[in-house]
Amino acid sequence: MKRMRMLSATEYYMLVASLPHMPRTFLVERVPISQSRLAERLKLLSPSDADVVSQVQRFLQWDRQPTARSDQEIQQEYDRLMQSIKNLLVRRIVEYRMDVRTITSALRRRRLGMTAPTGVGRWVDHIRKNWDQDNFRIVRDHPWVPLVCKSLSTNDPLEVERLLLQATWAEWTNLADQYHFTFESVLLYLSRWEIVDRWTRLNESQGRNRFDILLKEALGEQQHANW
Amino acid sequence: MTMDTFFILCLGWAGIFLPTALGAIGSIIGCARAGQAACGALLDVETGYGRLVGASALPSSQTIYGIVVTMQLNRVVTPEAAPGLFAIGLLVSLALLFSAILQGGCCASAINATKTKPEVFGLAIAPAAIVEGFAVFAFIFGMIVGGGIPGGAAG
Repeated sequence: MKRMRMLSATEYYMLVASLPHMPRTFLVERVPISQSRLAERLKLLSPSDADVVSQVQRFLQWDRQPTARSDQEIQQEYDRLMQSIKNLLVRRIVEYRMDVRTITSALRRRRLGMTAPTGVGRWVDHIRKNWDQDNFRIVRDHPWVPLVCKSLSTNDPLEVERLLLQATWAEWTNLADQYHFTFESVLLYLSRWEIVDRWTRLNESQGRNRFDILLKEALGEQQHANW
Repeated sequence: MTMDTFFILCLGWAGIFLPTALGAIGSIIGCARAGQAACGALLDVETGYGRLVGASALPSSQTIYGIVVTMQLNRVVTPEAAPGLFAIGLLVSLALLFSAILQGGCCASAINATKTKPEVFGLAIAPAAIVEGFAVFAFIFGMIVGGGIPGGAAG
C-alpha cells in the first residue's frame, strides 16, 4: 500500500502543474480555469482520490446553496459529513467553513435580539458562554468578526459576503502555502477555485441587477419624455 | 577465506557500484517528478515547450557523476581497500541520491513558476542549479579521496 502511494505521489506533479496559477486574491474578474476544463484535469486523479475530491465538491456545493435550512438540518448534515470524511485536510476545510457559518449566524441572531444558536463546530459552546461579550471574545482567532459586525449594522450584505469569503480565502491560502505538488494542494486549489467562482458569479449577478436598474431608469425617462 | 573477510569484500564491491545505482535511482525519481510537472505545464501553456521539458532533464546528471565515481573506485577489491571503497561509495551515492530527488522538486517548482511568468525562468531554475553544485562537490571530493584508497592508480 505504501509502495503504491509512493508511486502515485508523482501523479500530483502533473496535475498541479497543469492547473493555472491561483491568484493571491479572489477579487478577480473570472476564474483561472473553467469548470469543464477543471473537471477534465481532475480525471488525472486515482479513483480513491477522486472520491475525496467529490466529497469536498459536494460540501462546497451544499455550502453555497442559498436555501434556508433549520439548525437541525445543518447539524445532521455536519454529523453525516464528519462521519464520512477520513481525510484530515478535508475535515479541516469543512470545520473552518462551518465555524464561519456558525459565528456569522450568531452575529445575525444577536443583532436581531434572538437567543444563541445551536449551530455546529468548535465555537458553539464558546459563543454561548460569551453571548453577551463584545464579539464573543473570538477576535484573536477570527479577526474578521468586528468587520462583519460593522457591515451587518450598515446593512451591506455584499460587504459581509466579501469579508466572509476573505476570511475563508486567507485560511485556505495559508494552508496551501504549506503544500507543494501533493494531493492536499489539489484540494486547496479546488476550495479556493470555488471561492473565486462564487465571488465572480456574485459580481455577475450584481452587475446584471445594476444593468436592470439602469435599463428601467432609462426606459422610465424615455416613457416620461414621450409622455 | 573466512566469513568476515567475505563480508568485507562484499561491502567493497557494493561501495564500487553504489554511486551508479543510487545516482540512477535519484535521477529516475527526480526526472520523473520534473517530467510530469513539465507534461502538466504543457497543457496550460501555448509556447516555450522546449525549455520546460529541458528543465525536467536536469536531475539526470547525478547518474553520470555516479558512473564516473564507480569507474574511479573500480579496482581489485582487497580486505585493505574494501572499507574505504564502501565508506566513500556509500556517502557519495547518498549525496547523489538526495540531490537528484530534491533537484527534481526544484525543477518541478521552476516549471510551475515559469508557466505563469515565462520571464522568471532563469531565476526559477537557480535553486536547481545550486542543488547541482552540491552534487558536484560530493562527486569531486569522492573522486579525490577515492584516489587514495589502496589498489587504485594513486593508491
